[in-house]
Amino acid sequence: MSTVLIVDDEYLVADILSFALEDEGILTVTAGRGQKALEILDRERPDLIITDFMMPGMTGIEFAEAVRAREAHRTTPIMLMSGAHAYLGANRSDLFIEVLEKPFEITAFIDKVKAVLKLDS
Amino acid sequence: MYQLERLKTGIAGLDTLLKGGLVSGASYIIQGRPGSGKTILANQIGFNHVRSGGRVLFATLLAEPHDRLFSFLSTLSFFDKTQIGQNIQFVSAFDTLENEGLDEVVKLLRREITRQKATIMILDGLLNARSKAELPIDTKKFISELQGHAAFAGCTVLFLTSSQLDDGSPEHTMVDGVIEIGEESVGPRTVRRIKLRKTRGSGALSGVHEFEINDDGIAVYPRLERFFSRPSLSDSDQLAQVSSGIKSLDTVIGGGLAASSVTLVAGPSGAGKTSLGIEFIGQSTPAEPGLYFGFYESPQRVRLKAKALGHDFSALEATGALHIAWNPTTEGLVDRLGYELLERVERHQIKRVFIDSLGGMARVSADKTRVLDFFSALMGELRSRGVTVLATWEIQSLLGSQIDAPAPDLSSLVDNLLLVRFEQKGSELQRQLSILKIRDSAFDPSLLEVVMGGHGISVKKV
Repeated sequence: MSTVLIVDDEYLVADILSFALEDEGILTVTAGRGQKALEILDRERPDLIITDFMMPGMTGIEFAEAVRAREAHRTTPIMLMSGAHAYLGANRSDLFIEVLEKPFEITAFIDKVKAVLKLDS
Repeated sequence: MYQLERLKTGIAGLDTLLKGGLVSGASYIIQGRPGSGKTILANQIGFNHVRSGGRVLFATLLAEPHDRLFSFLSTLSFFDKTQIGQNIQFVSAFDTLENEGLDEVVKLLRREITRQKATIMILDGLLNARSKAELPIDTKKFISELQGHAAFAGCTVLFLTSSQLDDGSPEHTMVDGVIEIGEESVGPRTVRRIKLRKTRGSGALSGVHEFEINDDGIAVYPRLERFFSRPSLSDSDQLAQVSSGIKSLDTVIGGGLAASSVTLVAGPSGAGKTSLGIEFIGQSTPAEPGLYFGFYESPQRVRLKAKALGHDFSALEATGALHIAWNPTTEGLVDRLGYELLERVERHQIKRVFIDSLGGMARVSADKTRVLDFFSALMGELRSRGVTVLATWEIQSLLGSQIDAPAPDLSSLVDNLLLVRFEQKGSELQRQLSILKIRDSAFDPSLLEVVMGGHGISVKKV
């Protein structure tokens, strides 16, 4: 079973995405900010990380850089969710496999997650 | 006197109320019920601050996602999406509050202020902090720690709350200022009001003031009688006269109306008040322009009416001698009307104003007890700017020989008072004019007949 780590300071957004993925049979873990996510990274060993951009402590880009710096997570796919700064993520194809521009449709989101995890739609 | 450094909110009326702006580095509570406009107010201050080179941290203790906020704000002109994540950061501390408590929220926000180099921090959902606090002292500690760190970092703090906190609440005792906003029903209308309840380290325009939310966000209109409690300029000590626009009337009032005086023409509907005003404003020249500030008659109707009296208003408008402003009486704020009138006077260097009518202007006022003070301040300010005013006032009785001083309070604030009425003469109605009061001039108190024709108005003794 695949595990997805969702990092968003807006707990409601994290919860909505988490429930949607769980309905599809995907395990999820959430973290309210980058540091918290880094703390649980080794324990959870996610197959995919989805992160917000604007968060306290570190931005989604800083978080992704910190993930990449860890040997065990050098290749874990990361998706960035962002409103105004989608372009910042788009410039970092080295970090992000996908940039989801907010607001997005939940079905499109699920399809993209499944595609990355190579699950049947 | 030493003045504390100010941080302009960028909302002109609010900066006026605050006597120059928020005190830089101080902390404020903005409180108002849901829908009162506090989120708009705080964001408008935030985006204005960014526009003038500042950095803003917007943190929330509420569960509501920021995307919803952005979608509402995107309908307002101050909102600048490109600044989000650049100079204005939106972060949520809800999760931290829920799972880790108040102390961790303080830590998180302290770090964020430093990390973002924020010069304004807005914290939405202060009530949630209180609900997490075990004792009132915890709420106090939370606020004092946050504002202490913020002040040290040179950051001004705005706490937003939808609860009706009273003066003795721990929140109020801790902060430097409290801005209360709300909405009240006045008949079928709702009126938005703002009040500064506490302003440490600064004077403030006291009392309740009205504001509106339009496409540009919040516009605050300080109560005109409070703002112009003294006229901004001193009255002229030179006595000059200007024509009323009716030669035969000038003769009986000693040559004309005193310059920078206020004349009230009272009378029932149809008695010729507007026509007298048209004669008055028809005297406007490019050197001494006039303003027709009307409520009931559209500019087209006014031009037609003027034409019937021999005035070509379109030609006057083309030369810049005359400006016509027409306002609806069904909506709006009376203070906004007052400021608009004064702004037009300033912009076009207006010397004559015809207000048709004071009743129309008073009608938009949500609080009728203010009307007299409002007009008193407005007229005082117009006088001090060297403007001669003629205004109309409608009275009810159509016919009758009794001369009632209309709205006695109103008469006291005008310099000249004219009354027009109908009098039955055999089988026809005659328009009659009585002069009740003329400033600085001897006048002939005889009753006058008003004669209207294609060459204008003339008066003659009855």
